[in-house]
Amino acid sequence: MSDATWAVPGNDVLHERDHVELSLPARPELLFLVRMTAAAVASRADFGYDQIEDLRLAIDELALTVSGDEATAGRLQLLFKWTEDAIEVVGIYEPDEAEGPRRDLGVAQPANELSARILDALVDEHGADVVGGCPRAWLRMRRRKASRQ
Amino acid sequence: MATEVNFEVTESDRDGVPLLSVRGEVDVSTAPELRERLLALAEGGKTTAVVDLSEVSFVDSTALGVLVSGVKRLRSEGGDLRLVVTEPRISKVFEITGLTDVFKIYPSADEAVRA
Repeated sequence: MSDATWAVPGNDVLHERDHVELSLPARPELLFLVRMTAAAVASRADFGYDQIEDLRLAIDELALTVSGDEATAGRLQLLFKWTEDAIEVVGIYEPDEAEGPRRDLGVAQPANELSARILDALVDEHGADVVGGCPRAWLRMRRRKASRQ
Repeated sequence: MATEVNFEVTESDRDGVPLLSVRGEVDVSTAPELRERLLALAEGGKTTAVVDLSEVSFVDSTALGVLVSGVKRLRSEGGDLRLVVTEPRISKVFEITGLTDVFKIYPSADEAVRA
């Protein structure tokens, strides 16, 4: 994946402290791995318990946004970046070569209205688009002062 | 491959009201089982049921979608789907999605059954 794949609106202002990449088959039964990774990253970034739990749910919805709710042959690629004050996650669904482009629509959409409400409520910024024919979604959560440990 | 997600649904009868007690994480991989259990109740002629989420540690939008489908189905039959929610984390998800205006939510299974 190129740097452009992971470049999302606003992330030029983040001065990355570290990052983690996760690649896994886009299958519903593996989504818990995404939540576990999000929790580990948020803990590592010294986010408080409430925000760790918020990120677990938000990342679940982000994954549903890009990979849908059914098992596919493609892969879900995630990049977690964190700074002193924020965590940013970018998720991309890569179709299997034999599968071809998965979505007819040009832009990934939240899985449903409830998913959109969850993301709106839990993260500071989020968005979705398409990069290189692959649905992509991203979110950014800034540290809340009350949760600094 | 067996699911690694901690999840279980048990069904019991409480004073004639079916009670589904859910434990663990309800996400896109486990919500279909809850959907099947709710559908089975409706198809079995039950019009009112209680879903106890007090032992649930995680719900996502797919889980909420299953519950919304369930309440719509049972209300269309003249009944209702009542929820038991005790965990603040789970309450928060219902609040931010506006579903506290849709469901009748109780602090215990006993209160939900008696309602």
